[in-house]
Amino acid sequence: MTQGKRYMVLAAAVLAMGAVRMPFEKGLDNDLRASGLLPPRLEVRTSDRIGQTFFAVSLGGMRTLVATIWNLRAFGFFNEQKWEDIEECYDLIVDLAPRTRYYWDTGSWHQAYNEASYYLYDSTLPALRRKQAWKDSILSGRAFLERGIRNNPGDSVLWERLGYLLSDSNKISAFGDPAKAYQESYDAYMTAVEMGNSRALTSRFALYSLARVPGREKEALAMARRLHAEQNANTATMLSLLYTLGYHEDPAQPVDKLIDSVFPSREKAYEILTGLWERTRDRYPVYGVAQAITFLESELKVPPAESVLKRELLPPMSPEDYFRQEE
Amino acid sequence: MNALSNMLSHASRIGVIARHAFTQLVRMKVFYFLAFFAVILIASNFFSLPQHVGPESEGVRVLRNIKSWSLGAMTLFALVISVVSTALLLPKDVEDRTLYTILAKPVPRLDYLAGKLLGVLLLVFVSLALMDLLMTGALQLRTNMILTEQVALAESRGWPAQDIAILREEILSHGPTASLQGAVFSVFLRASIIASLALLISTFSSSTLFTTNISFLIYFIGHFQADARSVFTGGGDGTGDGLLIRGASLLFSLAIPDFQLFNVIDAVIEGQVMPLAILLKLTLVALFYFVFYVLASWFVFAKKEF
Repeated sequence: MTQGKRYMVLAAAVLAMGAVRMPFEKGLDNDLRASGLLPPRLEVRTSDRIGQTFFAVSLGGMRTLVATIWNLRAFGFFNEQKWEDIEECYDLIVDLAPRTRYYWDTGSWHQAYNEASYYLYDSTLPALRRKQAWKDSILSGRAFLERGIRNNPGDSVLWERLGYLLSDSNKISAFGDPAKAYQESYDAYMTAVEMGNSRALTSRFALYSLARVPGREKEALAMARRLHAEQNANTATMLSLLYTLGYHEDPAQPVDKLIDSVFPSREKAYEILTGLWERTRDRYPVYGVAQAITFLESELKVPPAESVLKRELLPPMSPEDYFRQEE
Repeated sequence: MNALSNMLSHASRIGVIARHAFTQLVRMKVFYFLAFFAVILIASNFFSLPQHVGPESEGVRVLRNIKSWSLGAMTLFALVISVVSTALLLPKDVEDRTLYTILAKPVPRLDYLAGKLLGVLLLVFVSLALMDLLMTGALQLRTNMILTEQVALAESRGWPAQDIAILREEILSHGPTASLQGAVFSVFLRASIIASLALLISTFSSSTLFTTNISFLIYFIGHFQADARSVFTGGGDGTGDGLLIRGASLLFSLAIPDFQLFNVIDAVIEGQVMPLAILLKLTLVALFYFVFYVLASWFVFAKKEF
C-alpha cells in the first residue's frame, strides 16, 4: 500500500470512528447538560461580546475564571455608576457561570437596589423619567433574579431573595398591586422552605408576607402560632402579628387578655404595638392596635397629650408621592 | 498458554519503554512547573478582588478562587505537557538514534508507540497527582479555617442550629470533595486524548513544531465540536442551514474529538456533585479515543522508513 493510500484509509477510519462515537457522545452531552454539569452552550452573541477571550473560555476551568474577571469589571462600572454596562456585564457573567448563585444575586441586587436608588435621587433627570427608570430597574432586577431561578430551580437562597425583593417596602409599589406582590413573596419564600434546606427565618419571612395579604388572616394566624411554638420565635413582628391576627379572629374578645396571652409584659406590649402603629410603610395589619394602645396608655399612665394615637402618621412609603413632590 | 506469555511479553516491553520515556522526560526538568503552580495556589488564597460580598459569602468565594485557579492551571499544564512531550518523543529518538537501536531489536512498533505514550501519560498523571495533592492540602486547611470563622460568626449572631448546619454544609461542598478529585481525573482524561492525538500527528509530521501547533489547534477547535454536531443534527441554530454548512459540520464533528464533554470541572468548581456514572462514561470516551489513536498511529508508523 502506498503512503497516499495509507493516509486515505486513515482518513476513512477517522470518519468511521466519528460515526461510531457520535450517538454516544451526543447522549452523554445531553445527560451532562440536563444534570447541570455542562452549562448551556455559549451563544454567538456571547462570543461577540467577549471577543478574544472566547478561546480561553472554551478551556475547562476557565469559564469561572473569566466570570471572576468580568465581575471585577462590573465592580468598576458600579463605581462609575454605569448601570447599562453593569446589566450587560452580568448578562455575560451568568452566561459563563450560570450555576453560581452569587452572580445572579449580585446582578439582581445592582439593578433592583443600587440602580433604583440612584434614579430615585438623580436630580439631573425630570421626575417622570426618574420614576420610569426607578421602576424599570426594579423590574429588571426582579426579571434577572427570576431568570437565575429558572437556571437554578433547586437553589432555595435565590427563591428567598425573590421573596425579600417582592416584600420590600421601598420597592413594592413598583410591582403594581401590593397584595399581589405580598402573595408572590409568600409563594417564593414557601418554595424555599419546601426545599428543606432553607434557614429558619425564611419561614418567618413567609409568614410576614402572608399576613399582609388581605383575606388570608386566618391562615396567617395558624402559621404564626405554629412557628411561634416550633421556633420559640419572640421577635417583635411575630408577637405583634399574634396579637393583630388574634384580634382579627375574634374582635369581641377582651383586649387585656389577648395582650397578656401574647406579650411578656404590658410595657413590652406597649413598646411593640406603638412601633407597629408607626410603621405604616410596612403595611402590616393593625387590627385592634388602636384599642390595645388606648388600654395600655391608660394602664401605664401615659398623659393623653402624649398618646401615640394623636401623632400624625406618615402615609405608606410610596415613590409615587416622592416623585410627585419633586415635580 | 502461548497467547498469555505473548501478551505478558508485550506488556513487559511496553512497561520498559514507558519507564524509559518517563525517566527521559523527568530528566528534561519538567517538574519545575510545580514551583509556578505553588505560587498560583498561594496567590489564589490571597486574591482579594474588589467585589460585593457580605461576610457570609466571603469564605466560599475564597474556596471557589482556589479551585478555579488551581484547576485552570492544572488544565493548562496538563495540556502543554501532553502535547509538547508527545511531539518531542519521536523526533528526539530519531535525533539520538535511539529509535534505530530499538527498532533493530525484536520490538514491535505498536509496543514502541504504546510504551512511549504511556510514559507521557505517566508523567501527566504524576504531575496532576502532585498538583492535586498541593491543591487538596491548601483547600483542606482553608476550608477548616473558614468553617471555624463562619460558624463562630453565625453563633455570635444567635443563628439556630438548623441554619448553622446549612452553613456548614455549604462551606464543605466547596472544600476538597470526591467530585473535585473526579474533576482532576477528567483533566487527566482530556490530556490523555490530546496526547494520543499528538502521537498520531507526530507519526506523519515532519517537525515537532507542526505537531505541537496542530495539536493545540485541534484542542481548541474540539471545544466547539458539540456545536457543529448540533448544527448537523438540526438541534441548534443551524436549522435551515444549507447542505454545504451541514456537510462541513458533519465532517467537523466526525473528525474532531469532543473536548467540551470534559468541561464538567467548571460545574465542580461551583460546588456541584459529579456522579461516578458520569466519570465512568467520560473514562470510556477517553479510552475509546486512546485505543483508536494508538492503533491509527501504529497503522501509519508500521511501514514508515527512517
